This record gives sequence, C-alpha cells and structure tokens, in this order.
Amino acid sequence: MATTVAVPTRSSALRVRVSKTAIRGAEMAVGTILVILILQTVLRFNLLDEDLWKLYLPSFLDGIVLSLRYLGIILPLSVVIGFTIGWARISRFRTLSWPLSVFVDFFRGVPPIIVVIFAAVLGPSLLPARFQSQDIGIIIAALTLAMHSGAYQSEIFRAGFMSVPRGQLEAAQSLGMTNGAAMRFVVLPQALRLSIPPLANEFAVVIKDTSLLAIVGGFELFGSSFIFEQQILFSPGNQLSWIFVVWTAVALVYFVMTFAVTELLNAIDRRYHVKGLEAVTV
Amino acid sequence: MIRVEELEKHFGALHVLKGVSLEVQKGEVLVIIGPSGSGKSTLLRCINLLIEPDSGRVFLDGTQVNRRDIRPEWVRQQVGMVFQSFNLFAHLTALQNVTLGPIRVLGTDPTTAGAQGRKLLARVGLADKADAYPAQLSGGQQQRVAIARALAMNPKAMLFDEPTSALDPEYIREVLDAMAALARDGMTMIVVTHEMGFASEVAKRILFMDAGRIIEEGSPEEIFHSPKQERTRMFVGKILR
Amino acid sequence: MPATFDEQRRSRVRIVDILLAILVTVGILAYILDVLALRWGLSTAYIGRSYPNYLKAAWISLYVTTIAYFIGMGIGFVLGWARSVRTLPLARVMAARRREAVAAADGGSPGAGLFLGTLLVYGIKYYVRRTADAYVAIIRGTPLFVQIVFVWSAVLVFYPRLDPLVQGLLAGVIALTANTGGYQSEIFRAGIQTVHSGQVEAGRAIGLSRWGAMRYIVLPQAVRLVIPPLTNEYIGLLKASSLLAVVGSVPELTTFGRSEAFQTFHIFEAFALVVGIYLLITVPVSKVVEWIERRYRIPGLGIQAPRTARV
Repeated sequence: MATTVAVPTRSSALRVRVSKTAIRGAEMAVGTILVILILQTVLRFNLLDEDLWKLYLPSFLDGIVLSLRYLGIILPLSVVIGFTIGWARISRFRTLSWPLSVFVDFFRGVPPIIVVIFAAVLGPSLLPARFQSQDIGIIIAALTLAMHSGAYQSEIFRAGFMSVPRGQLEAAQSLGMTNGAAMRFVVLPQALRLSIPPLANEFAVVIKDTSLLAIVGGFELFGSSFIFEQQILFSPGNQLSWIFVVWTAVALVYFVMTFAVTELLNAIDRRYHVKGLEAVTV
Repeated sequence: MIRVEELEKHFGALHVLKGVSLEVQKGEVLVIIGPSGSGKSTLLRCINLLIEPDSGRVFLDGTQVNRRDIRPEWVRQQVGMVFQSFNLFAHLTALQNVTLGPIRVLGTDPTTAGAQGRKLLARVGLADKADAYPAQLSGGQQQRVAIARALAMNPKAMLFDEPTSALDPEYIREVLDAMAALARDGMTMIVVTHEMGFASEVAKRILFMDAGRIIEEGSPEEIFHSPKQERTRMFVGKILR
Repeated sequence: MPATFDEQRRSRVRIVDILLAILVTVGILAYILDVLALRWGLSTAYIGRSYPNYLKAAWISLYVTTIAYFIGMGIGFVLGWARSVRTLPLARVMAARRREAVAAADGGSPGAGLFLGTLLVYGIKYYVRRTADAYVAIIRGTPLFVQIVFVWSAVLVFYPRLDPLVQGLLAGVIALTANTGGYQSEIFRAGIQTVHSGQVEAGRAIGLSRWGAMRYIVLPQAVRLVIPPLTNEYIGLLKASSLLAVVGSVPELTTFGRSEAFQTFHIFEAFALVVGIYLLITVPVSKVVEWIERRYRIPGLGIQAPRTARV
C-alpha cells in the first residue's frame, strides 16, 4: 500500500503539536469526569458534598501546599544526586563507581517506606544536639527520598550516557577536543536528550512517593487526609461515604500533578527532539 | 610531513602493530590496503594519537609528537580524521557539526565559523543541506559532511578510515569524488580503502599491511598487477575479482 | 573498536584502582554501620532471638505479593493485549469493508447492515482499548498508598464486622492486584507490540489463523521479551507490599519491623533485619535478571535494543 508522508513546515508542525497536547488534555478531563461519575454511582457518594468540604477544605489545601513544598526539596535534589552518580558511575575508576553502585543497589533494593521510617528515627540522632527539633526527622526522611529517587535517576542518566555511541567521542577527540569539551558539547547534550522520557516517569514516581512522608508525620496531602479520615470514621453522625469523597479528591490531585509533570517533560522532549536521536528500540 | 617509526601496539594479549614505519610527503596521497584485523585502523589512530602507541615515534613536520609535553589534542587539531561509520554528532545539524570544532576548539567566533562552514559544505556539494540533521541525510551525504567537519579545523593532513565501507554502492562515488578533489588541491592524505579505482587514480604509493606489519610497498601498478609477495598477490586477487 | 588514548592510561592504574575501590567501599559501609551501632547499640542477642519472627513476617509479605502478582498477571495480560491492538482510522476500515462487500456482491450494492456491524465492532474495540488505557493511567497516576487506603475504606464501609486482619489482607490483596495488573499490562503491551507486525503478516501469509499467528509467532517472541521485566515487577511488587504498613493490621515485614522497633527499642537491629531481608531477596534476583538479559538475548530482539560499542 502506498503511503504519503506529509513533510510539515516548522510552523504547521508546531500548531499540530499544540493541538495534540490540547486534545490530550481535553480527553483526559472528559475521561476523569466519566470515571468520577461512575465511581460516585457505584459507591454512592457525592464528590461535591458541601457539608464535607466545609470540614475538609482546610486540611486539603494545607496538604497540597505541604506536598508541593516537599516536592520543591526532593525533586531538584534527586536530579542533582541522580545526575552526579550516573555520571560518576560511567567512570572507569572503580574507586568511584563501586561505592556508588552499593549506594544505588541499596536504595533500589529496599522499599522507600522503610528507609523513610528509619531515617526519621535514626537520622536525627547522628546530628549534634542543637539541630534536634520536631521536624528534623521529617526533613531527613525527605532527603532519603531524594536519595532513593536519585539512585533510580542515576540509572537513567547512566543509560543515557552509555547509549551515546563511542564513535561520537572519538570524532570529537579527532577534532582536537579535550575529554571535557567532548563530554560537554557532544556526549552530554545527546545523553540528556535520551534521558528525558524515562525521567518523566521517574518524576511521576517522586510525586507519588512524597505520600510516604505521611508515615513519619509529614502531613502532606495524603497524611492530612488520612488524619481527617480517622476523624470522620470515629466521630458519630458523620456519613461513612465521605471517606470516598476524600480519597477520590486526593487521588485526583495526585493524578493531575503527575499528569502535568509528565506532559511538561514530554513537551520539552518534543521541543528538543532531534530526528534520528532516539533511545534505540527494536 | 608525517613520519612514523617502529610503531608497536598491543591490546592485551593481541599484538596489533609490530614495528610499522612509514613516511608521507607533503601533498602526497598514501593508500593502505590489507585484510581486516591487519592493524590499519589502529595505525591511523596512532598517528593522530586517538590511541597511544606502546612504543615507536610519530613525527609531524619533523617534530616528534607522541611525547609527554605535547598535548594529544593539539596533534589531533593538525590531523583531520574521517571515520568508517561517519560519527556525525547526532544532535547537531550539518552546519553545526562543521562549526563545532572551530568554535569550541579554535575559538573562532560563530559568524565567521558559520560562513566558513557553509563554504566547506558547498565545497563537498552540500550547500543546501546545512540545516539538516544527520539522520535526514543519506550515507554519502553524511560522509561528505564528515569530510567538511574535518576540513574545518584547517588540518595539515587528513586520515581516512575506510570512508566508503559503510556506504550503499550508489553513494560511494560522490564520497570518492570529494576525496579526489581534496587530493588535487594538494592535501596530504592517508587513506585506508579497498577502492582500487580510487587508489590507482589518486595515490602514488600503496602499502599492503597484514598481521601488524607492512608487507609490501609500491605504485598502484606494482601492487595491483605485479605484486612481489605471495600474501599481497592472494589479497589483491581476492579484492580484484 | 580499539580502546581510546585515555583508557590505556587508565589501565595502568587498574590494580591500585581495584584495591582502593574495595577499601573505600568497605570503609564507608563499616563507618556507617559503626556510627549507627555506636549510637544505638547492637544487640546480637536480640537478632539471634527474634530473626525467625522477621522471617515469618517476610513470609506474609511474600504470600500477599505472590497472590496479587499472579491474579494481576491475568489482568495485565488481558489489558495488555487489549491495549496492544492498533486501531486503523475508521474511514480506512470502512473503505476496506466496502471493497470486500462490493467484490462479494459482485457489482450489487452492499447492505447497510454490514456497515453498521463494522461500526459496532470498531466502536466496541475502541472503547475497550480506551477503558483499559484509563485504568492504567489511574493506577500509574495515583500513589499506591491512596489506592490501598481507598480499597481499605471500601472494605471498612461494606464489611465492618470482619476481623481487622482479614479486612487488611483483603484490602491489601485487592489493591496490590489492581496495581500490579496495571503495571503488568504495560509490560505485556510492550512485549506484544514489539514483535513486529511484519511477523504476523508473514505468519498469516503461510496460512496461519489470527490466533495461530498469536500462538506460534507473537507469543514465543513476546514471552522471551517479557520475562525479565515481569521478574522485576515481582520484585517491585514485593517492595510495594511494604506500603500495607499504612493499614497496620497486616503483620508483613515492614509493619512488623516498625512495631518491633518501637516496642523493644532495638531500633537499629530491627532496621538492619528488615533491610537485610529485603536486600537478600531483591538484589540477587535483579542481578540474575540483568545477567540473563545480557546472556540470553536473541540478537536483534529486545524491548531495550542491544548495545554495540558505547561510551
């Protein structure tokens, strides 16, 4: 069968992309509303229950703000950790790569919640007394979450570096570039571009993992809602179906956050996409 | 121009170069032929110090360059190289590929480098492909961009490592033409290739290498039609058939 | 491809490098353990006494994980298959149908019923696929914590009289099953889609039925592709089962370790035991998977492409 391939000009390609994102967004919105309607009917609750929201709204909003704050710490830090380790691990120096591979295997092999629980308890004790405070455990737990994600991201960046063909480095050297320059101008730009799509996934994981901080008393969205749920469950006169409202709302916020971040990174990926420069898949 | 004396190179247990010596005059084109694994690629990479030889000396314009006090980067600026698999920078357009070296290594300002780059692309017949990415070019076009990229550093000599082996047959001609034009302009070149037509036309001398040694040296006429060594005869017989 | 200039300079210091690497690695680990043990004390007596209890807790983790994993595999396969179906533009399907119908009716005009039927089948296919997509998007877009608590709440509301342990187990298994089903469907979808459509075409060309092509050509290739990621998914699910700690009534490894730590105050020992057990399961398995992937890769066939010469 003959297929015709339209070669888009620069501007028309851009318009197509914009409308694609818009369509995806609209589709997601419609789908989400449909899913919520179905859930409401099956489990018999009303997401817009005014009586509930009067009680719940403050902890809901506080939770979102706190979640974003934690994200603000964890996300950038995890990228820095992941990139540094990923880069260091492609080094041929085992002195550098072996200890780091132990670090990575540890954080990849242990469920993050355990690291969070114990970091919040064990961590503060290692600090001098004047740093001790209520929140320090949670902050240390947040830092270990960043290390956890950093371990995963390091594998992404390492794969990115490794999938740049060796010939690229050789060609750069044959132009008289130093190793550093070859890295900076030839290997790095390609490695970073190859890392963006898997990073989008990992960022979504980080957003979801902030919920783990609830277990050590970091009352971000999940934690504050959990506390609120316990109150509803155990106070008489309240409707039990409210807890579905709470969890649907919480799920919705996380869904929107992960969707936004992945779409953002995908948009960046498309913006900097170079034809012929893809992580090779068969 | 380029002189190599008694080069030795091991990769682990593998003895790749067993005392290779050669000399190329300014403006001369030297073609090296030989079976795969005979050390041709390693020899080229030793000349621009992409690989450090275990022992032996490499001279550029009479100066020994494989010395501690000479940076290999400097040597590689003087000697351009074209690879079998093109190795164009996949994230850069053709023009950016050509100007990256001048801008980042020589410190040429981007406008000048851009103008030079366009001239070089025109010289290899690709003026209209300046903004194309490597993946959008045919193999032959990519290899010609690679030649322009090497030329952009204004090298004293050029090394070609089987520049047409990875090409579809219909693209070989255009690359060889670009190389022949370069030779006519007086570029000093060392070419590893099995293109006999090109070798007879452009080269004055041909070296036959096998198992890390230079087995025979002579004019294209001698090597192709009356080789003295048995091994040369067998190899030439195979590739001419 | 020969080594570069710098690699050789490096190879000269290899032995020093390896020794130093071992020294640094062991040193850092020893230092961390020493600091923690100094601060919190290390009671080998406690470890010797209670490690069987930890193993029992680990057994519960494995139990819950395994049940959820295999039920989830069924869900994942069905969803994955549904999502791997490529939909052609409706107009093209209709046009093809029309050509067939015209050919069959030998010049006469084809009935409208045929088109309605096609439209119906096409619509059902489309919505099945989109529903599966939505399911996976929800599973992947929300924290497992929220999923667990959601199911748990439902169990609490609808079955308030059950034993808390049963409530917890029920909620945990349902949530984990739903979760791994979504993630496994991604694996199956990739596996099925990766087998080139030309392969199906070639199979049909030698006279195989649609199912025959699936059975003899797609599946044998897809199975090979999905086994490593599926194994990794089991490991992932085992780690995810630790989130049942939020329910509190299921004494799996994390819950148990946490309560032991705070009841006996052997905090460091509890941490070491829990982490040790998880690592003993996860690290060897994933290393073996990595090794198998490298060792038994069919050239040219892989969800991740084989790597040739790389930086």
